[in-house]
Amino acid sequence: MSKIQDTFLKIGSIDRRWIFLIIAAVVIVPLIFPVGLPIRPTDTTKNVYDSIEKLPAGSNVLLSVEYSPSTRPENHPMTISILRHLFKNNHKVFITCLWPDGQFMAQDAINQVAKQEFNKTYGVDYVFLGFRPGNEAVVKGIVSNLRKLYTVDVYQKKIDEIPLMNGINNFKDFDFLFSSSAGFPGTIEWVQYASDPTGIPMASGVTSIQVNEVMPYVQAGQMVGVLAGMPGAAEYEALIDQKGSATSGMDAQSVAHLVIVLFIILGNVSFFIERNRSKKY
Amino acid sequence: MEFSTILGAWVAVFLTFGIFSYLYKDNPFYKFAEHLFVGVSAGYWTAIFFWTQIQPNLFGRLFPAKVYGPDSGTPFIYNLLSFISNSVFPEGGIDKGHDQHFIYLIPLALGMMMLLSLIPSINWFARWGIAYTVGMAAGLRAYGYLNSNVIGQVKGTAVNIFNSSLPFFSLSEPSIFNNMIIIVGTICGLLYFYFSKEHTGILGKASKVGIYFLMISFGASFGFAVMGRISLLIGRFNDLIKFSSTEYHHATFWVLTAVIAILGYASYQEKENKSQIADTGQDSVQEEE
Amino acid sequence: MIWKRQIPILIVTIVGWTTLLGWFIDQPDIQEFVNDDATQWFDILASFAIILGALNLIKLQVQKILYQKPGWIYSVVAVMGFLFAITAGFFVKGVDDSVAQWGAHVTTDGTLFKWMFDYMFSPMSATMFSLLAFFVASASYRAFRIRNFEATLLLVSGIIIMVGRVPIGSVISSWFVMYLIVLSAGIYINVWKKDMNTTFVFVAVGISIVTIAGFMYGWPIDKPGIFYLPAIQEWIYYYPNVAGARSIMIGIGLGIFATSIRYILGIERSYIGE
Repeated sequence: MSKIQDTFLKIGSIDRRWIFLIIAAVVIVPLIFPVGLPIRPTDTTKNVYDSIEKLPAGSNVLLSVEYSPSTRPENHPMTISILRHLFKNNHKVFITCLWPDGQFMAQDAINQVAKQEFNKTYGVDYVFLGFRPGNEAVVKGIVSNLRKLYTVDVYQKKIDEIPLMNGINNFKDFDFLFSSSAGFPGTIEWVQYASDPTGIPMASGVTSIQVNEVMPYVQAGQMVGVLAGMPGAAEYEALIDQKGSATSGMDAQSVAHLVIVLFIILGNVSFFIERNRSKKY
Repeated sequence: MEFSTILGAWVAVFLTFGIFSYLYKDNPFYKFAEHLFVGVSAGYWTAIFFWTQIQPNLFGRLFPAKVYGPDSGTPFIYNLLSFISNSVFPEGGIDKGHDQHFIYLIPLALGMMMLLSLIPSINWFARWGIAYTVGMAAGLRAYGYLNSNVIGQVKGTAVNIFNSSLPFFSLSEPSIFNNMIIIVGTICGLLYFYFSKEHTGILGKASKVGIYFLMISFGASFGFAVMGRISLLIGRFNDLIKFSSTEYHHATFWVLTAVIAILGYASYQEKENKSQIADTGQDSVQEEE
Repeated sequence: MIWKRQIPILIVTIVGWTTLLGWFIDQPDIQEFVNDDATQWFDILASFAIILGALNLIKLQVQKILYQKPGWIYSVVAVMGFLFAITAGFFVKGVDDSVAQWGAHVTTDGTLFKWMFDYMFSPMSATMFSLLAFFVASASYRAFRIRNFEATLLLVSGIIIMVGRVPIGSVISSWFVMYLIVLSAGIYINVWKKDMNTTFVFVAVGISIVTIAGFMYGWPIDKPGIFYLPAIQEWIYYYPNVAGARSIMIGIGLGIFATSIRYILGIERSYIGE
């Protein structure tokens, strides 16, 4: 018995670099040899899906992209899935960015979905307005007078010359807002300065770290739903029946989580053994 | 595949492994990548913010193409600026659809003052521009947070616990028990943060319940934090797997081998040096004896 | 002195009050100024602030090189990186004007700036963040200890969310969870009573009840729902977790409101170093 306890104590004090190696291995192996575990959409994800499904065809939807390459694995699959859903239902999409990196992320998503998959026409089916600095002041600017903030789109074309921009003067001219957000400015600013004061419904896709910050908004009805991190993105991919990078990452995510739970249990076992021994002596 | 794409892939893989090498220990690869990141980020942010805001919305309102024509031409100052940088100040004025607004000389002046604050003797110059942004942010946030984060959340907490049409308990649907959890949890959590009175008696018990709800919330945050970090790691590994293919000339394998070989050799040399120093130290102690 | 202290405080007060009252006053000129021009000025000054930050960063690196402080060689790398980014942003587009004009070149494929973003900035930024995955695993292993009831609550809630939220949680049967609960309760009873017989009887009875119930109901994976990880996770996520997060949110909201009013009234002066 004491030999087993000694083994646990040894495991409890191994060099952390072995832990790093184990984590790397448990993430890489399922990526190379996927298992294909089933994905079960949660209620908050289904609410986002249902809200977009219920929009009348041809609705004006504002898609705001505020994440950087650092959170691309979580946010980008959400943006892609939402764009696919919006174009499938023939909605008109207006894309803005509150982060400068968001411009690049949005451009990648547009290239993949709007141009390659759906062959949508720029200026008729979608407009890419681009990034403006100023954090919450930008949101306020969009709410009050979008045309003063955006006189040209991201390609430097005047928005007066873009057919889809006819009749779009401020936030109230949109029917729905989706924010794919990784921090500040992002979902919270859209709730505080746009959606809540005007009553235009909004949903958001956020990183896992941010989920707890925005859940109170969902529960209070200030947001219709939220896509929570990569699992949320995978759930949405399952709902629109088009698998993407989020789904392929879920096997690795599952295994890594189990391993971390095992680490926590092992760490606590060795803690209890050490505590009992020090009590004895 | 284009050479620039393949070169880019090798650069990306080298920088990725350079940063990951920190997991072994701090080393020149990591320091190189870290400092390069600092420099490139600074330049990247400068360029992005200049081209998305300052050039179109500031200079575009001071020198708009709308007011200049073939007959009127552009003023001397604009021609001089255009001579210095034709990309920022193109011929004929800046065409972003703006009218001319000389009032934008004020933010230009404040902005230039902010940049001049780099000179130590006049570093207070930045205060005026910063004061403007602070004042505006304070005015925006006072309303935003009070409306959505306080009043909106209090409204969301005021749920009906006397609704007889609801079941007593349900895992996924609204129920009387779930509504009670929301009310009790929120109030007790808030009471925990009330420090104007000692936490004894009823207040003590309520704040104890509050702390339990807060711990559940922190545990959920921890779970989500782990989830988020693992997701980011999955993203990096996906890129490394992509760059290990034949198209990219197996960049991942070659760079990984080189980094491991160099770090391994350096580690071995360090150990040798340490053991030599230890031996020399022992020899001199024995000699003294 | 008035330039360094009084004028900035006056600016904060005037701009702060105008912005705050702009939410409530419907006067067209005030509304136009607050919603349009004031917002634009804010955006412009925010851009200058970012550029100032970037230039300050490089100034520190240059000073390190000039004074040959320890590690100055790496500062050369930082400055080279900065100069490369500035070259790509302002001097060398890499494509014709017909492909991308100056301004649009920052997002257009094929430009040197986009190449720098895709193969230098993007991978380094993503990798810096992904390092945290390793450290969170290591920290969980070495520091996450059940020292008291609150820590146990935190741990259990975290584990349920971590496992219940991912696909593997939905393949773990609720009966497996019930067996785990019986075994954990057995360990607790052993520690409490320190009597092997009591522990054995408790565990044996518990396992028997669960097994009989399982055979009776046919071992459905997601019933009873109260032991099915995704269902428990969803309940915790939507109810007790929201209650805790909401109380924090209200507290922070009140704090930010109070601090903003302090700035507008000129009581808080940290932006001028006081």
